Amino acid sequence: MSLFDDVQQFVREANRVTEFDELSRLLDGTIREFGFDYFALVHHSSVYKKRQALLSLHDFPDSWENIFRDRGYFFDDPVLVACEKYATPFVWTDVPQLVSLTPRQREVLDAATEAGLGGGYTIPIHIPGEGTAVCTFSTRIGRELPKATFPAAQYVGCFAFEAARRVASRKAPASLGLPREQTPPRLTRRQLDCVVLAGRGKSDRDVAQILGISDQTVHHHIEEAKRRYDVATRMQLVVRVLFDNHVVFADLLDRGIP
Amino acid sequence: MVDVITSNNRYKYAPLLDQMHRDRKTVFVDRLKWDIPVVDGQFEIDQFDTNAAIYLVATDPKRQRHLGSIRLMPSTGSHLLGDVFPHLCEKGVPVGDDIWEVTRLCTAPAPDIDPRPIRGKLLMALCEFGLLYGITTFTCVTHVQMLSTLLAVGWECEPLGVPQPVAGDMVGALAIKISPSTLQMLRQRMASRVPVLQLSDVAEAA
Repeated sequence: MSLFDDVQQFVREANRVTEFDELSRLLDGTIREFGFDYFALVHHSSVYKKRQALLSLHDFPDSWENIFRDRGYFFDDPVLVACEKYATPFVWTDVPQLVSLTPRQREVLDAATEAGLGGGYTIPIHIPGEGTAVCTFSTRIGRELPKATFPAAQYVGCFAFEAARRVASRKAPASLGLPREQTPPRLTRRQLDCVVLAGRGKSDRDVAQILGISDQTVHHHIEEAKRRYDVATRMQLVVRVLFDNHVVFADLLDRGIP
Repeated sequence: MVDVITSNNRYKYAPLLDQMHRDRKTVFVDRLKWDIPVVDGQFEIDQFDTNAAIYLVATDPKRQRHLGSIRLMPSTGSHLLGDVFPHLCEKGVPVGDDIWEVTRLCTAPAPDIDPRPIRGKLLMALCEFGLLYGITTFTCVTHVQMLSTLLAVGWECEPLGVPQPVAGDMVGALAIKISPSTLQMLRQRMASRVPVLQLSDVAEAA
């Protein structure tokens, strides 16, 4: 089968899937044909600003997923930064030219290598009004990226993302592909405000000043949010809130008061 | 509302068509830097803007202002995909009485205009036109960067080939399938319940 036959078949089958795991299996099969080992399809859309269906599908090894989450790498993933800035696909070895890397961002790239990820081909997906989505196909260490398949892979990524959006929009907005019983804890607007500002490194006093409330009220909001999330530290709270898609990475960069 | 302009009624729309070509020049040449011909330094017109072309043009109620437009060409005649980009189709250029090509989707670049509702109207008009005139498939050529936005419309799209480089950008050909459920889906998404096409003085399509 030619590359195009693979793409055509993928599109036809993706149009018929109704569940995330069906889509994952289909995508995994197709990209393996191309010579990739792993895929990730991520769309973190901020419910902080407005509610949107959310997406996080991948088949990375558990070890990498755990490291990524436990170390809070989402904040510092330079691949995500590059996606927000650029519209054309890139490979991970290009990232240092696209983003001037902080030591922490470099750490994320190095940790991926240590976890066995060799190279990656990342497709930024920008849909007006819906923020930035990311589709990455990567290889294990020691395997070359199949460059000849990149144009076909870009098509597969875009069609896969659209199929995932379609599946997500049929489910409850907050489900993220999880069973409905596992919807994330709700936070009030004020609690979210405090978490975002704390996530930007502001002290309780700074947050109080910015929001025009007292230090004690800020402390109370954050403690309540921690209680709802059942976590012990602020860092854990910010990471969880981020992964539950209440806010996105960009909200935590100091781009002015939301 | 969206008017249907053909060779039979275009004499009534000369100023509107002029505006359309001016706006196309601003959008495609000045902003997007496409390497396409410009006439008189102000109008974007190419070899496919002929009597065979049909234009769906969104206007204000007085029909004095071009708000947006799409150009349609029958696949059975000279068209962009068949003449210029056949290599984007792995299995041959789709040709048939029920297959038309869509090109030059453009919304007026004025700062007082919000392009999104106009684009929505043009897409619904495209669908209504297709259903009325027995068109089952619209083909198009698109930069791959626009693919996700195109797919996000929610209609059924199929790739016709793997994207190829054209003047430094990756470009691909797609086929969009039109059916009554496509129109239903679009109307639901745009929260619209009425037709947008104005057909009062349209003669038969080419």
